[in-house]
Amino acid sequence: MCGKWRSIIAIIGILMLGSALPTEAYAHGVNIEYTSNVEIEIIARYDTGTPMAGAQVAVYTPSDPSTPWLTGVCDEEGRFSFVPDTSQPGIWDVQVRLAGHGGIIHIPIGGDAAVTDGGGGFSHLQIGLMAACVVWGTVGTALYFSRRRRT
Amino acid sequence: MHIPDGILPLPVTGAGYAATAATTWYSIRKIKQKEDPRQDIPKASLLTAAFFVASWIHIPMPPTSVHMVLNGLLGTLLGYYAFPAILIGLFFQAVMFGHGGLTTLGLNAMIMGLPAIIAHHIFRMRKWGSGESRRKTSVFGFLAGVVAVGISVAMFVVILLTNLPAELNVVSEKAAIFTLAIAHIPVIFIEGTITALVTTFLRRVRPGILDGV
Repeated sequence: MCGKWRSIIAIIGILMLGSALPTEAYAHGVNIEYTSNVEIEIIARYDTGTPMAGAQVAVYTPSDPSTPWLTGVCDEEGRFSFVPDTSQPGIWDVQVRLAGHGGIIHIPIGGDAAVTDGGGGFSHLQIGLMAACVVWGTVGTALYFSRRRRT
Repeated sequence: MHIPDGILPLPVTGAGYAATAATTWYSIRKIKQKEDPRQDIPKASLLTAAFFVASWIHIPMPPTSVHMVLNGLLGTLLGYYAFPAILIGLFFQAVMFGHGGLTTLGLNAMIMGLPAIIAHHIFRMRKWGSGESRRKTSVFGFLAGVVAVGISVAMFVVILLTNLPAELNVVSEKAAIFTLAIAHIPVIFIEGTITALVTTFLRRVRPGILDGV
């Protein structure tokens, strides 16, 4: 008799314990989906630092570098952002243009390529040094030819 | 006013190089006809440096900014030396600062160099009639500076307007080009004034410099 009650209590206890646990974790599989959107943002400025506000932007895919995949306009701060089609890996070209001024930036997308910026510009110090070298070259040329003329 | 790489189609930039090659050849031919072609090389070298640095002098003209050109000054002081001097200056500007481009070097040389030669001929007009005077030097110096930059701006606008790609918003780009052209109007008069002041000053202190031009 005692053994019978012990068995009933044990079964009730197991059932109570089971009801206290989150049923979802055991009863249903979980399906999580995600999409990876890598947004590319460019900032277009003149070398004076002035933003290219209102500049027109054309984005070209690696497969068709002659027809724009997307066109748009930079905002007041020279910013433009877009989400590239990651199914087209390779080098994407982004051209920025305003009143005949502008440039092209090449952005690697997908694969093992890391997204890089279009930097590589020179610092003011480097530009100053380069300008000084060119000016010195011209002054040196002037001195050389003026010396030859006197002798 | 430097056209960068990637803005114009290849045939147009190629035509720019062809025109620049022909003009450079003609300029050198004219230089060689001088009694001592080497005599003006020091002057040309120093003014090449001035032209090279001038593109750094930005004048804010909201909503854009413009820079000095000095092609009128080079034309008045150098004559036919001005074209190769501008070509060399543009090459260094493109390579070192990214002002302009290597594919558009020929076109940019025509845009800034050809008006310099025209400025040279305008400045020579001061010798017409009753001979040279201080007032005529000043007036024709001013005209040379004004006309040189004015023609450069006009060439820049025409080349861009006739080569707008179809995928662009043409109305917006045209408006931006005209805005930039209008922003150059003060530069035109500033450069005319600078050219007049420099030529008048040189006539007073070193008239020999203006003898050959």
